[in-house]
Amino acid sequence: MNKQRFVIILGLILILSLNLVAQSSNKIVVEEIDKAKLEKLIKNRKGKVLLLNIWASWCPPCKKEFPDLVKLAEKYKNSKVEIVGLSVDDKSDLNSEVIPFLQKNNVNFKIYIQNFKSVEELISFFPKWEGAIPLTLIFDKNGREKKFIIGMRDFNFFDKAIQEVLASK
Amino acid sequence: MKKLMLLFVLISFLSGYSQSDKIKFEDFTLQDYDGKNYSLSDFKNSKAIVIIFVSTQCPVSNDYNSRMEKLYKEYSQKEIAFLGINSNKEEQVEEIKEHAKKNNLSFIILKDYGNKIADKLKASYTPEVFVLSPEFELLYHGRIDDSRKIKNVKSEDLRNALDEILAGKEVTVKKTKAFGCTIKRVEK
Repeated sequence: MNKQRFVIILGLILILSLNLVAQSSNKIVVEEIDKAKLEKLIKNRKGKVLLLNIWASWCPPCKKEFPDLVKLAEKYKNSKVEIVGLSVDDKSDLNSEVIPFLQKNNVNFKIYIQNFKSVEELISFFPKWEGAIPLTLIFDKNGREKKFIIGMRDFNFFDKAIQEVLASK
Repeated sequence: MKKLMLLFVLISFLSGYSQSDKIKFEDFTLQDYDGKNYSLSDFKNSKAIVIIFVSTQCPVSNDYNSRMEKLYKEYSQKEIAFLGINSNKEEQVEEIKEHAKKNNLSFIILKDYGNKIADKLKASYTPEVFVLSPEFELLYHGRIDDSRKIKNVKSEDLRNALDEILAGKEVTVKKTKAFGCTIKRVEK
């Protein structure tokens, strides 16, 4: 009898722990990024082109183009291209707005949330930028800015832009 | 004498530099949502002209509706003109009119077809502010304040600029930046 109970309890523990693992693998982790970390992300390319999409959960055109970024990330999975998103949402909206949006859209690329000292510090990081989003930048494998794209675009536009940067010297 | 000449040349150079540093815009005319024409020169007797690029659909612009109206009500009493400009290609006159009515926006809102004025002023997002002198010189450019969430506002940049202008002072912070929605332009 005691042996049976032990087996049942052990089985329950096993089921629970499997469930926890499944939950954590579905969990979306959004890291904070500050100026130094963003500089490092752009410079430390390891031979990969970077497409950086700056967006927010309150921005309708950003949300509209997001599924195309998911498609791009799928296409360039395990390639010489890295797709990264940078949310400029308030950190207080992370759990209520940002993560539910990412879950709904089955995000498959790295997402950061801005943790700069101020909004101006982030906007001034890219001198040509006044703050309009979505903004998409493409950096070559040496971290040099090659494309500065303000406004919503689609899969084909981004794909072509990536190909141009991959082909550039 | 040579020293005097050198000083003269230096002063001329410096004054020339400071003049060329100023950004001045040309007069323009647009229609409001009722089809009435307005030109910048209609407001040359104001103490300053506030131009705000607005949107009916942008959540950030909409978050500022009540703040824009409040600033308009307060500063129009102090002879400051307010003009909203909608340059978004997808937002049509009827929608702009309805949106203004629904949100109690009583200042003039002009429709900028083909985003010609947005291009001239190099406006890129909503709500983006330009404050001009009666001679159309740029005095302030940037945001209304530093947070779309009213409770988090620490710096009322547009208000500060207008108060300095009314006090006859030079605007201390002439340029600020903020996140906003891209102005949706026509393809050219």
